[in-house]
Amino acid sequence: MRQLVPLTITFCVGTLLIVSVFIPPLGDLERTFTLWFDIIAVFAFFLGGGNLLRVHINKLWRRKKDWGFSIVTLAGFATMLAAGLFKIGNPGDIATAVDAPGSMFYTIFDSVVVPLGSTMYSLLAFFVASASYRAFRAKNREATLLLLAAFIILLGRTPFGLMLTEWVPDSFSLLQIPNLAIWIMNSPNLAGQRAIMIGIGLGVVSMSLRLILGIERSYLGGDNA
Amino acid sequence: MEHFALWLSAFLTLGILSFLYKDNPWYKLSEAVFVGISAGFWFVTLFWDNLVGKFWDGWQDEPMLWVGAALGFLMLLRLVPRIGWISRWPLAFIVGATSGLWLMNYLASNIMVQVQATIQPLFSTSYASGPDAGWGAIVGSLVIVVGTFTGLVYFYFSKEHKGAFGATARVGIFFIMITFGASFGYTVMSRMSLLIGRIDFLLGDWLGLIN
Amino acid sequence: MTFHRGRTSSLASGFSARLIIVIVVIAFLAAPAMWSRADGPDIVLAGSDSALVSLAPVTSLVAADNTYDNGDALRLTWVPSIDDRLIDSKIIGYRVYRLAGTGEPEAIADLPPGSNQYLDETVLRDSVYSYYVSTLSERAEFPSNRTAVISPQREWINLDRGYLFLIALAIAGAVIYYVTVAKRGKKLFVRKIAGLEAIDDAVGRATEMGRPVLFIPGIHDMDDVQTLAALTILGRVSRTIADYESKIFMPVARSLVMTAGREVIKSSYQAAGRPDAYSDDMVNYITDEQFGYVAAVDGIMVREKPATVFLLGAFFAESLILAETGNSVGAIQIAGTARPAQLPFFIAACDFTLIGEELFAASAYLSGEPRQLGSLKGQDVGKVIAMVVIMIGVISLTFAEAWKIEFMQDILDRLSVVFSTN
Repeated sequence: MRQLVPLTITFCVGTLLIVSVFIPPLGDLERTFTLWFDIIAVFAFFLGGGNLLRVHINKLWRRKKDWGFSIVTLAGFATMLAAGLFKIGNPGDIATAVDAPGSMFYTIFDSVVVPLGSTMYSLLAFFVASASYRAFRAKNREATLLLLAAFIILLGRTPFGLMLTEWVPDSFSLLQIPNLAIWIMNSPNLAGQRAIMIGIGLGVVSMSLRLILGIERSYLGGDNA
Repeated sequence: MEHFALWLSAFLTLGILSFLYKDNPWYKLSEAVFVGISAGFWFVTLFWDNLVGKFWDGWQDEPMLWVGAALGFLMLLRLVPRIGWISRWPLAFIVGATSGLWLMNYLASNIMVQVQATIQPLFSTSYASGPDAGWGAIVGSLVIVVGTFTGLVYFYFSKEHKGAFGATARVGIFFIMITFGASFGYTVMSRMSLLIGRIDFLLGDWLGLIN
Repeated sequence: MTFHRGRTSSLASGFSARLIIVIVVIAFLAAPAMWSRADGPDIVLAGSDSALVSLAPVTSLVAADNTYDNGDALRLTWVPSIDDRLIDSKIIGYRVYRLAGTGEPEAIADLPPGSNQYLDETVLRDSVYSYYVSTLSERAEFPSNRTAVISPQREWINLDRGYLFLIALAIAGAVIYYVTVAKRGKKLFVRKIAGLEAIDDAVGRATEMGRPVLFIPGIHDMDDVQTLAALTILGRVSRTIADYESKIFMPVARSLVMTAGREVIKSSYQAAGRPDAYSDDMVNYITDEQFGYVAAVDGIMVREKPATVFLLGAFFAESLILAETGNSVGAIQIAGTARPAQLPFFIAACDFTLIGEELFAASAYLSGEPRQLGSLKGQDVGKVIAMVVIMIGVISLTFAEAWKIEFMQDILDRLSVVFSTN
């Protein structure tokens, strides 16, 4: 019973959605199920948010390592909840959009979340340099190919690349770095992308079938629940 | 207030950047602020957009939305140990819906569209003229077909990569590595521009050293 | 007072002539109103304009039922006004009017010049409609003839997707066939996948070093099939971790994933006979915000120093940040995603990478269960179908284009129809 009902639900829902592609009167099912998912996600957030509160309150209560920062996390969470749920400082009243410019919610988002997100994103500049160093040690043929292709594409997007191979005659224009970069993007890169995408498509079909038919049931706790 | 917000943004920005040196209290503080405030942000957004906007404002036109709400409520029963197993039902719904949707979408977009796009002529009179004419076009066509074919051979699970089959698979992985290298090289410049953006904020907007 | 007879005749005839002329002119102007087209409305003037530009209306306007839908759309097609082709065309657009039953015309859409079709998706099944389209200038509208009355129809089966159905049947059929064959006991060979073979050693390493395993299931929710793939792998990995008596941490960016993750790990520990070793604290929700999650996970990595990191699921730009940080703490990293743009970063920074399809094959591979391995064989049949179709298509197209061989063109046309998607 504990496994049979969920497996039946998975089978029925999955099959209905597959069939709805071919039966127009069922065409609206996708939209309906997506709305149900969105609603379920909100309820699930009560569990997630509750977990966040529990973890940090527990850390604070038991004075675990770095408990002071848990106060900051809890304070930030509570502030945003208050600002957003009660629409504090919103121009107009509670009927206005929660993220209306001028509201406390929007101001905090704009001065905290946006710059922090951009800064984390900008760390990529440093990490891509360290990853490149490691990748470009070219320990085998595959790594050499990866290095070469990356190098040509990188140079091809800079004026330096053009300068390096300006001397190549027009009859061999494909060997000029910018042209070679374009050709690599349009030919071997495209071939690899296609092979990967076809493989992914087949993998998704196979895994989806395993889930719908109940062959794969680890998301329910396997055969042990 | 604006001045305070600017200084707060700069303070937190530098806190995150300090992680590049090593983990430290400044980074931990910035991280704690980020996690707390962003978690609150997303809860509020989900509440107003989904629970109020989609469910509460929409159920009178679409009474079936109550099924979604019921499934959501069943999810909360996880908190009651004796009947927590009921929370698998909404999970089962989600898994079924995701599987059903993605199966057909990926069949169409990843398999059929890609196979159709790969069907190109190896030789064509159009390769003799036009802006992309020449040997590059012919070789390019051949490379696309051969690369896709051998790439698929590489992903073949049912046969050991030995002999002629193994050699073909090896050609396939070479193409895949070129793909990865191209993707890597393509994104390096855009990653650098992200850092330039933050430096511009710190030196320009915050310290006013650059226009 | 008497009139002289000759002068009176001249005046009368002049007046008559002018009267006749006036009557003719009035008749000419009034004729369109008197003989107004039964099918179309009148020319609408937006204001008096002695320099009114006259534009030709659209022609061949046809309203038809939109095929293979639920009876909720009608499709209009027409030939644009001949004035639309002029370089200095005065046409500013087209306006679609709809008449529901015997109601008044209602403007339902404004379209740019050059438009030749419109899909009306606001109709009701079994209601009747007719349409006309007006050519618009800056000051006037020039309507077309009205279409015949039509009612949208529902079709129960979308025959346009017949080939999609056949291909889905072929691939799904192959998967189900080999699952059935495997169930009957036939051994199916699957080649080794290095990243998956390394899992036992990676978890063993964590046990020996006394450091935890960090499992990151991507940043998307349960509505992404990559997350489902990650959770199915989690089931196998957490079983190994429970058997080896190691520790697992799983920070997540979505509450639903937290719920599912706890379910999976709890069951694994139960199966390993260690239910008491399980704790809900193994799986924690951080935040939905992409980079907030990354900041927290980076912090966990440098503080907890996991011996093994699994990065499996849907990743975006943060893939490199996570992989590089994991690398910096000396962890063995096994990554996998179906997003081709992130794979190069995992290849560069991780010890093992599951490329695309291998992510979805992983749970079947790790289970070793015949039915699951059978599904991998079915995937391979799909690859063979794709390779054969590509070869036939390329050869046909090459012969058709280079040497103009007709029957090759026919094969090609058939393949195009089969693989077109709508």
